[in-house]
Amino acid sequence: MMSAQRFNRILLVLLLSLTAIWLIVPFTMAVMWSLVDPSEPWTADRLVPPVISLHRWRDMWENSSLKTALVNSYLLAPSAALAALTLSMPTAFALGRIRFPGREAAKILALLPLIVPPFVTSIFFTSLLYQIGLHHWRFGAILFAHAIVFMPYSIRILTVSFEQVRADHVDAARDLGASTWARWKVAYLPALKPGIFASLLIVFIQSIEEFAIAFVVGSPDFTTIPTLLYGTLGQDFVRPNAAVLSLILVVPNVLLMLILERLLKSANPALNSGKG
Amino acid sequence: MGGISAHDLRMEFDGFAAVADVGFEVATGEFITLLGPSGCGKTTLLRMISGFLAPTAGTIHLAGEDVTRTPPEKRDTALCFQSYALFPHLTVRENLEFGLRQKRVPPADRETRLEAVVGALDLSPHLAKLPNQLSGGQQQRVALGRALVMRPSVILFDEPLSNLDARLRDQVRIEIRRIQRDFGLTAIYVTHDQAEALAMSDRVFVMKGGRIEQSDTPERLYGRPRTSFVADFIGNANVLEAEVRTVDGNGLVQLDTALGPLLAASTIPPQGSRIRVCWRPEDADLAATGPNLLSGRVTHRAFQGHFTDLHLETGATGCRIQTKQPGIQEGDTITFSLKPEQIVLLEAVA
Repeated sequence: MMSAQRFNRILLVLLLSLTAIWLIVPFTMAVMWSLVDPSEPWTADRLVPPVISLHRWRDMWENSSLKTALVNSYLLAPSAALAALTLSMPTAFALGRIRFPGREAAKILALLPLIVPPFVTSIFFTSLLYQIGLHHWRFGAILFAHAIVFMPYSIRILTVSFEQVRADHVDAARDLGASTWARWKVAYLPALKPGIFASLLIVFIQSIEEFAIAFVVGSPDFTTIPTLLYGTLGQDFVRPNAAVLSLILVVPNVLLMLILERLLKSANPALNSGKG
Repeated sequence: MGGISAHDLRMEFDGFAAVADVGFEVATGEFITLLGPSGCGKTTLLRMISGFLAPTAGTIHLAGEDVTRTPPEKRDTALCFQSYALFPHLTVRENLEFGLRQKRVPPADRETRLEAVVGALDLSPHLAKLPNQLSGGQQQRVALGRALVMRPSVILFDEPLSNLDARLRDQVRIEIRRIQRDFGLTAIYVTHDQAEALAMSDRVFVMKGGRIEQSDTPERLYGRPRTSFVADFIGNANVLEAEVRTVDGNGLVQLDTALGPLLAASTIPPQGSRIRVCWRPEDADLAATGPNLLSGRVTHRAFQGHFTDLHLETGATGCRIQTKQPGIQEGDTITFSLKPEQIVLLEAVA
């Protein structure tokens, strides 16, 4: 008994340390690389950079298209999240609340786009964008593409949420004289809320990190943070500059993930009320 | 306030008739129970009255008005759900007020109506709580209150007590009946529990296969069932087949049964030459006089406190009797009699 407990503790500590190393090492490396001063290169024989400065950060801010990339990315991602949410609502409602033959198959079908490699999707999606003439408005084209490509996530999440809406709550609201809107507010929305947040955040993160479509459709004159990052890596492989960009990319995502965790964990009263 | 009248109601799902040609009249203030096994169509009938299902054929009138195609949100009925269906993110007060807000009842009026219901159901200590902070019985009272506060002309109950334990069930049952009387409501109550139906109702509609098998007062339903289904579903009954020998002008019927010849007194003529009859186990009289004298050997005895349940072997068949005498043991042979009016004539054997 005692030894099993001890074994579990050791396993737990081991797991936590591994996770910490797995998270902390690359993160620390990125931070250190972003602080390397160009006057003194960081050679392999040194544990930390010899001279530390914010030069790279200043340089990237002033002499690259980082500012426009930031604006583009942070306009694009929330718009894509909202668009994907709006577009997936009807499908999710149908999959979650309406009984029809082949519903289970339809649920799987809605997820299939996710297994296609992103570059394949983006190349063919781009040709579609050219055909419908949307490529002239690059922002719109990428927004449209992101909303469509990441819709499976929202559909899946919202389908589960719609399934959790209790039919007796909808009926009770109707019986008490509620209009369609009031029924939506009192019976649907409380059960959907966590799903809506989760879907918004996941599409947001996917969109902000998406490279393939943004690159194929947007380049060369429309930059997002990932295309700027790959550009930095591709042309002259300036590792400190890449470190600056990846930190800009990753920090908001980590924060958003933490918020997401909170939202999903916070008790959803619609799911644990009384008898049912 | 108003009664309900239904004519030739029919509800089909994919060609299957869940409710078939049902018609009835319910008077204002009457308490009606729809009783039957699962799948008998009682819930379907309730959902047609509340408006959630539009009947395939037939009409429903509430307080004289044709509501057959009126949706539930526009119907003057209020439904108490089996699951209570309280909105979990709203407090008890918000749940109670929900319907009044939907109907745009002015705040002052809203407050008066709320107070009346809160008082009657003793909910004032819970107004600020969320439903999941209440016990099952309290949630049930909130659900009842939420329906009552609407002052509907008809209140509908869908097995409201099935989630409560036995002791609480008795208490809420009494409460529902008291409030229904105090508020003068017409009530339709769905249950599969015959004890509940007998205890609460002015009239019970016993349903089977989508039809109303018999609609009667609890006393008549128990004492004068019309079919073996009703006799068997309500209380215990000894049901047996009988050959009709003679019928005289006073309603006395001579029968030949597996228990031997029996004499029955009936106000209605037998439905055929070969019929079913029934009698209640507690009608067996061990004083043993009169025309229907039967005897049998006790094969099983179960002491129940206020009575003793005996299974007898009589002739080629068996029967069950209940007696207040606890002294009889298994293996004893006993003699008992039945009064002619205690033997009830049921349907003809097909």
